[in-house]
Amino acid sequence: MALQVLEFNFKSAATQSIPKEWSHTGVTGSGDLEVLLEKKDLGGGVKAKVVTPVKGFDAVWEKMIQKFVTDTGVGNLSIEINDDNATPIVVYMRLRQALAEATAKEAE
Amino acid sequence: MKKWSELKDSSFFDASARERAVGLVDKGTFTEFLHPLDRYCSPHLVVLGQAVEFDDGMVCGVGLLGRHPAFIISMEGRFIGGAIGEVNGAKMVGAIRLALTAAKEIKAKYPGEYEAKRPLVVISFETGGVRLHESNAGLLAHAEVMDAFQDCRHIVPVVSVVGSKVGCFGGMGFVAAAADVIVMNEQGRIGLTGPEVIEQEMGKEEFDASNKALVYRTTGAKHKYIIQDCNYLVEDTIGDFHKVLGEIAGKSMEEIEKMRRIGSIDLVREQQELVKLVGDMQPKDSMDVWKHFGNENPAALPELSTAEFLKTVKRRARS
Repeated sequence: MALQVLEFNFKSAATQSIPKEWSHTGVTGSGDLEVLLEKKDLGGGVKAKVVTPVKGFDAVWEKMIQKFVTDTGVGNLSIEINDDNATPIVVYMRLRQALAEATAKEAE
Repeated sequence: MKKWSELKDSSFFDASARERAVGLVDKGTFTEFLHPLDRYCSPHLVVLGQAVEFDDGMVCGVGLLGRHPAFIISMEGRFIGGAIGEVNGAKMVGAIRLALTAAKEIKAKYPGEYEAKRPLVVISFETGGVRLHESNAGLLAHAEVMDAFQDCRHIVPVVSVVGSKVGCFGGMGFVAAAADVIVMNEQGRIGLTGPEVIEQEMGKEEFDASNKALVYRTTGAKHKYIIQDCNYLVEDTIGDFHKVLGEIAGKSMEEIEKMRRIGSIDLVREQQELVKLVGDMQPKDSMDVWKHFGNENPAALPELSTAEFLKTVKRRARS
């Protein structure tokens, strides 16, 4: 019954974190998720914590976040996700969006 | 998230709670209380296996409207329909109480300038009322907010802003109506029991929730504006809401008090007259009421743009 809490650690080739200390994107809507990114000294690695009501998809979560880490080459980053039944592709898309927002310049 | 300059022309209806909170105050002045990094989630949802959110579906903070500190409370309808539980309820009450504390301190520090620096509370409602998973805590939060509203009377204006997807229903429909001023866009809806629930309990003949035109005529902003349950009807951009809030921030407390619907014997009498009117005329549709208040062609009103509507509409006269 209780929420699933999944934790993963990834090794990354890069040590490229985000410019801001932290960044938040999205809403835990139905079929959606929110992402909290934080700059952290993890020896280049990436750690992820996922809180979700869905059971039995641990391997899919790990694969999706691994793909995000590999594709973007981020490191020294903590990812926290509150999920409400998002599909894997939505997860990937939101992670990319979160990173884009975290690296966007405050141009005004 | 969009930048302030982009938010200005963005739809209020489509905006997230945080976008509304940032865009309703002056550029670059918003500071959030208990932001997502504080991770203040509902402890009850975790036990029930329900998804949580770092801000518990409510963005609270303070910004400026000119020289007036504006305490903003903004609800996120995409998270459990914006329903009120223990944590977001406490955030709401806390933000209102903080506005009162600020008022007291400003009064003490700048006694001659209180009017010019007077804070206000702005609540952007998007909710169905109590979050059923934490029902008692949610109900208590409603009561505490009402209490805090009373403490604000004649000191700090409380403004309801309604114009988001979920509308403002359930117990929060009461709360919105208990504020001093109500600002809505055309898409805004305020009610007590939601259309679907009325249909479910009383049947389709009583209220057909799938008939969107009917739902909007009954709970929507144009109707509320005609019967004076809405003080300002604005275009659907965050910038328009921001502009009108700036005007409200500068009004005297006497002017603010005049915009209220409830809260004095005279206002209770005024509401009773409305009840009597409805009893006497037995309207079959909101349009009957619109016609009664002098709108010759009520059927045309829902089709008008906000600007055209404001030009032609006749409203219930207030004493």
